[in-house]
Amino acid sequence: MKTKNGSRRIFGILLLTLLILGGSVFLFSCGKEQENKTKEKSDAPLASKAPAKTTSMEKSPTAKLPEEIEWLTNDSDPVFGSPKAIKGGTLHETVLSFPMTLRLVGPDSNGSFAGVLRSNQLSLIGIHPNTLNIVPELATHWAYGKDKKTMYFKLNEKARWSDGQPVTANDYAYTLEFMRSKYIVAPWYNDYYTKEIDRVIVYDDYTLAVVGTKAEPDLYLKLGMAPTPRHFFGELNADFVKKYNWEIEPNTGPYQIEKFEKGKNLRLKRKQDWWAADLTYFKNRFNVDEVIFEVVRDTNIQWEYFKKARLDSFGMTIPQYWHEKSDTGVVNKGYVHKIWFYNDTQRSAQGLWLNQDREIFKDPDVRYAFAHAMNIEKVIEQVLRNDYERLESGFVGYGPYSNNTIRARRYDLEKVKELMTASGWHRGNDGIWEKGDQRFSVEVVYTVDEHTARLVVLKEEAKKAGVELNLQKLDASASFKKVLEKKHDVAWMGWSTSLRPQFWEHFHSINAHKPQTNNITNTDDPEMDKLIDAHRNSLDEKERITLSLKIQEKIHEIGCFVPTFMVPYVREGYWRWWRLPDVPGTKQTESLFDAFSSSTGGLFWYDKDLHDQTLSAMESGQTFDPVTRTDETYRMKP
Amino acid sequence: MRLNPLTIKKIRRFRSIKRGYYAFLLLFLMILISLFSEAFINSRAMLVKYEGRFYFPIPGNMIPGATFGLDYDYETQYRELSKIFKAQDNGNWVLMPLVPFNPYENDLKDGQYPPFAPDFKNRHFLGTDNVGRDVLARLAYGFRTAIFFSLVLLVVNYAVGVSIGCAMGYFGGKFDLFFQRIIEIWSNVPFLYIVIILSSIMIPNFSMLIGIMAFFGWMGMTWTMRTLTYKEKAREYALAARALGATDTRIIFKHILPNTLSVIVTFAPFSVSSGIIALTSLDFLGFGLPPPTPSWGELLSQGWANMGAYWIVGSVIFAMTLTLLLVTFIGEAVREAFDPKLHTTYE
Repeated sequence: MKTKNGSRRIFGILLLTLLILGGSVFLFSCGKEQENKTKEKSDAPLASKAPAKTTSMEKSPTAKLPEEIEWLTNDSDPVFGSPKAIKGGTLHETVLSFPMTLRLVGPDSNGSFAGVLRSNQLSLIGIHPNTLNIVPELATHWAYGKDKKTMYFKLNEKARWSDGQPVTANDYAYTLEFMRSKYIVAPWYNDYYTKEIDRVIVYDDYTLAVVGTKAEPDLYLKLGMAPTPRHFFGELNADFVKKYNWEIEPNTGPYQIEKFEKGKNLRLKRKQDWWAADLTYFKNRFNVDEVIFEVVRDTNIQWEYFKKARLDSFGMTIPQYWHEKSDTGVVNKGYVHKIWFYNDTQRSAQGLWLNQDREIFKDPDVRYAFAHAMNIEKVIEQVLRNDYERLESGFVGYGPYSNNTIRARRYDLEKVKELMTASGWHRGNDGIWEKGDQRFSVEVVYTVDEHTARLVVLKEEAKKAGVELNLQKLDASASFKKVLEKKHDVAWMGWSTSLRPQFWEHFHSINAHKPQTNNITNTDDPEMDKLIDAHRNSLDEKERITLSLKIQEKIHEIGCFVPTFMVPYVREGYWRWWRLPDVPGTKQTESLFDAFSSSTGGLFWYDKDLHDQTLSAMESGQTFDPVTRTDETYRMKP
Repeated sequence: MRLNPLTIKKIRRFRSIKRGYYAFLLLFLMILISLFSEAFINSRAMLVKYEGRFYFPIPGNMIPGATFGLDYDYETQYRELSKIFKAQDNGNWVLMPLVPFNPYENDLKDGQYPPFAPDFKNRHFLGTDNVGRDVLARLAYGFRTAIFFSLVLLVVNYAVGVSIGCAMGYFGGKFDLFFQRIIEIWSNVPFLYIVIILSSIMIPNFSMLIGIMAFFGWMGMTWTMRTLTYKEKAREYALAARALGATDTRIIFKHILPNTLSVIVTFAPFSVSSGIIALTSLDFLGFGLPPPTPSWGELLSQGWANMGAYWIVGSVIFAMTLTLLLVTFIGEAVREAFDPKLHTTYE
């Protein structure tokens, strides 16, 4: 419940499968290509599969590490845990519903609680949340193969499963076996670990290679897989789904489930002698001893829990909580602090997507005019309390891949007039632009009730510019269907994000003019195709960045997307005995009180003295100054 | 048109029931006013005098600001214009309606966030909703929608219900049996679910919504009409008409129907109120008329979400209570006026 206004709810529904199951964004659109790939593979099945088979075994006597190999590691990036942090304390959290299973894969395993469990399963390597460089997790060193589809890893010999067993190369080979098994009833994983990961080669207990199916850039995002405990699962059979529903699987992260009462609560305990506690980027993190999740089935009740200190922190990104509900005793008396933390991550491409197959939007001038008729600034200022910010393009927050010179077209009646008259339109009797039997009146499809307030303001303002918007609120799946079938005029929606901008699915002509692809603007531009193809085929980071910037310029030039809002921050309330580092989070932080995330979590710590002081103050009626902290370290400057 | 003396008697009797009669007059007045809402509640001026000429902006096309010497081509902002003319003080003036807002426009302020409380100075007599639209304006236009919706629904429902009910009663036999079963099955289709499904895949407009609701609402009248027709059919005058060679249609429409009219009329006001409630609840749930159509249900749900803004929920609840009360009073009076027992009292 730490998202804003439910506005991400749609995106969640829209791209649930894509996002949660591993960040691959090609599900809709890549089907064909992947089919081709499998075909290629099946032409030479023996050659490529034979080594894969041997790898699942203990050790392959034939496997030999290539000689010219350059081992890399990273211990020089800035650390972000606070040296002041001390261990101890219990963090109380709430969840809206109890997980339906503790399994990490298979039926019902993708609930909202899965994130907590998965965060405690480390991978070979991680990503530094501020520099986005690779950092060690279970591997100490890594190296790239010459074929651009292989990565080699040296494992940390200290790594232990929570049951004390060492983590060895064999456990990675087992991941492949496990994820490809039909017994886990997880078609997506079956597919991904077959079509994306070719094989794991074991050289010795602590050296391995992971081979992808194709050469591609940013290989490390795909190949840094997680191990699976072979000694725990062993040989799989049809019993798997049932047998492991409530089994506590060994993990490699800082916490492990200690006990749980189904439907009520779940308690995780910090490992006292966690093997990774002294790793450079894990130091001074994961400080709290215990994390207790209690099931509270309603957000309003969770808020009441928070006010009674039965919950330690509360997400207040939603304006109503930040501005109104938090104007309450415990905050005003200074017992609860508020923090407004700007992060710097990939922003969802939210906005108005124009269907260029509609006659009216075939003319670029009309598309520009449409963009100039949207008074987004007024909505931000007078409806959204200036809490939201203007999104300038569809790809903000992608680091060097973002073209930060692009500015979204602003509300400008003069420009609308200029563009429309240039295209031969004139204002009709009701003030709406007309040309022949065409009228500048378009349907806007949207799904979220709360967005009506924003859209009615846009509608009234657009009328001044001579553009009529007809609002069409549909249920999420009906709307998504309509948009994917390209039956909309304008779609009011956003896409989920991944670590790198995805252009092909949204803007390549191969996906235009046909249903069920993500090119919902029906962009069909030969020059754009050329750029996107070059970008897709390039394995050179610099070239990819240059092309990415160019493509974004081109998107702006085509003008089929009117960016609207972004929420470049998180806001939270927390009881004053919780302490945060001087820079309280990282660029990628989505919640400052995330106890587990291996990349951004566990930065806060518990201060017992402050706790005692606060409790006695509350008893005696003593108050403190209210505190609202704003941190703009990572705020994106336009 | 010459009225049947009996009918005149009934009307006289209705008028003598003061509560119902005044309720009727008041409701009639409200409907009449609502028909001319545009003249009372509008962002367009009623009358503008500019450079010696008079303009009537309310009916007809929009007048761009440039006409009055302003620097824009979109519709004149008459509230602003009024201020400008006052400041210039050179014989030009603007006469604004009582409520100078239309139900769609957002009257927003800098640094403050709607809903705004009632404010007589700015003529938001009932405040604004959560996007700065005038509550009174939305209430008035919403009333018009609701009352006409329920009236049209009533006509459609009764047209279908009465004819089928009559036919069932008159023809009887297998026809009756067949339709009885049809109606039983029909009544068991869950209306709300159908509406939810339909309105999630398409946007219902006024007539479509009438269609959907009539589709599931016509059964109510059939049972009553069937019984009544059975009764009337057996009367001597019906037999006499048949003996004279009258056709079925003639007997039904000329003889039987007029004699059952009192019952139909008695039911009508209550159907009106249930129509209003149905539309309001659908809008409340978000399955009714599409936004930004002004509607009571939408206001009610806003009021629910912003309990602190008492003026929203207060206004709409007051308006609903008043309307439903009036309709019910009328219904009571009609029933009493049409009650045949009055004519057959023996002392």
